[in-house]
Amino acid sequence: MNRVSQKLMSTWVRLGPRFLPFADAATPELPLSRLLRLSLFQVSVGMALVLLIGTLNRVMIVELDVPASLVGIMISLPLVFAPFRAVIGFRSDTHRSALGWRRVPFIWRGTMIQFGGLAIMPFALLVLSGGGDAAKYPVELGWAGAGLAFLLVGAGLHTVQTVGLALATDLAPAEARPKVVGLMYVMLLFGMIASALIFGLLLADFSPMKLVQVIQGSAVATMVLNCLALWKQEGRNPNRGKSSRPAPTFRDSWDNFVQGGHAVRRLVAVGLGTLGFSMEDVLLEPYGGQILHLTVGSTTKLTATLAIGGLIGFGLASRVLSRGFDPFRMASYGALIGVPAFLLVIAAGPADSAVLFGLGTALIGFGGGLFGHGTLTATMNLAPPGQSGLALGAWGAVQATAAGVGVALGGIIRDVVANQHAGQAFGPAAGYDLVYLLEVLLLFAALAAMLPLMRGARLAQN
Amino acid sequence: MSGDADKVYSTGLTFAEAEELHKHLIEGTRSFGAIALLAHVLAFAFSPWLH
Repeated sequence: MNRVSQKLMSTWVRLGPRFLPFADAATPELPLSRLLRLSLFQVSVGMALVLLIGTLNRVMIVELDVPASLVGIMISLPLVFAPFRAVIGFRSDTHRSALGWRRVPFIWRGTMIQFGGLAIMPFALLVLSGGGDAAKYPVELGWAGAGLAFLLVGAGLHTVQTVGLALATDLAPAEARPKVVGLMYVMLLFGMIASALIFGLLLADFSPMKLVQVIQGSAVATMVLNCLALWKQEGRNPNRGKSSRPAPTFRDSWDNFVQGGHAVRRLVAVGLGTLGFSMEDVLLEPYGGQILHLTVGSTTKLTATLAIGGLIGFGLASRVLSRGFDPFRMASYGALIGVPAFLLVIAAGPADSAVLFGLGTALIGFGGGLFGHGTLTATMNLAPPGQSGLALGAWGAVQATAAGVGVALGGIIRDVVANQHAGQAFGPAAGYDLVYLLEVLLLFAALAAMLPLMRGARLAQN
Repeated sequence: MSGDADKVYSTGLTFAEAEELHKHLIEGTRSFGAIALLAHVLAFAFSPWLH
């Protein structure tokens, strides 16, 4: 070790504990202020999601003239990391550290990776668009740069969210978890809505310089939010680092996890339900415009309607579940509300009724809120001791993959049906209606998967 | 200094623990450097130093 390192290290050991990011002595309860601070990581995840799926999607196609197919590939790159959430969670469960930390090193690395992706992203996109001097260089430079930027942001946000939720599970006692889950969802939604508005405002008059400022600003915001979130949250347990037992392999841990409490069935239910609630995501606005002839202003309000429905769902689920209600019953009610919600949206077309459409959209948000809250609360409550990272990772892997695949599938199915003669025979709404009907079927399948889970919960209570 | 492995300093850290903390700092600095380098290469390709 060189002299500079020696010097710095002796500084760390002498610094007051006030300046070190450890939790003070474990507190019996988690105060709301600390919980709110922890939930800031969800704001940074929401911001990154909006940037990838919303803002940059549009900027690349409209302002930068990048071919839509290339944009589609770039935007789906972060999804590659979603299945690895289970591995990330497992790695954090079994992390060996002299400090006795399990979660902080991973959140920190995830933050760094997300920051790195966002820091290089604006230049990568500008090179990808072939603007400026970029045309002088081979196109591969732009592809590689943009691909790397999207991969890094994806890897970072999946790591931060998985390990952040595992940390929240570690910190929150069982009776507080429904409230913690509600808060995490609300903060994710808040991060998405607030950053969508801010990005929209800042990029209103677009210039390459503005793009660099906005995306790099979001990189710095990621760093600040995540550091605030993890500061003094995780307590130290140095004995954990000293254990001489060999760390279990992923296979061992997974087998152990799968044996307890219908783990696979729970994951299947999460996958089916999430797929059922996400395929309409990019279709509601064009459906409103094309079939119901709503203006751009009123279709934008749809996003708000969906979000408000979701917020009411999270709020209600938090209240009811913290009184000891069965989370799977709650998730099933969510799926049950989803069924008439999609039927209302389908009926809005022939009835030419914006009111039915709005009501259906709000109910989709509401049902999705109940379903998401119920399944995440159940995941936290049923996580085996010492395996909360793996449990939350598996939930996140299924949830994020299903959501990403669902959104893509919805768009593809609609396009395929709309472009075929057989599809056109049923009118312009056929593509949309087929997707909505598929979602109804998926929700029924999710309900069927959850039925034994509810009975099991009831038997356990008796 | 490193001979006294179990000595707990005023922060409540032993030397091994401080070393781990330091490792994160070094790792962070390295990744930051790599990111900065990459960003500069791409920025140069778009417009040499944004001129």
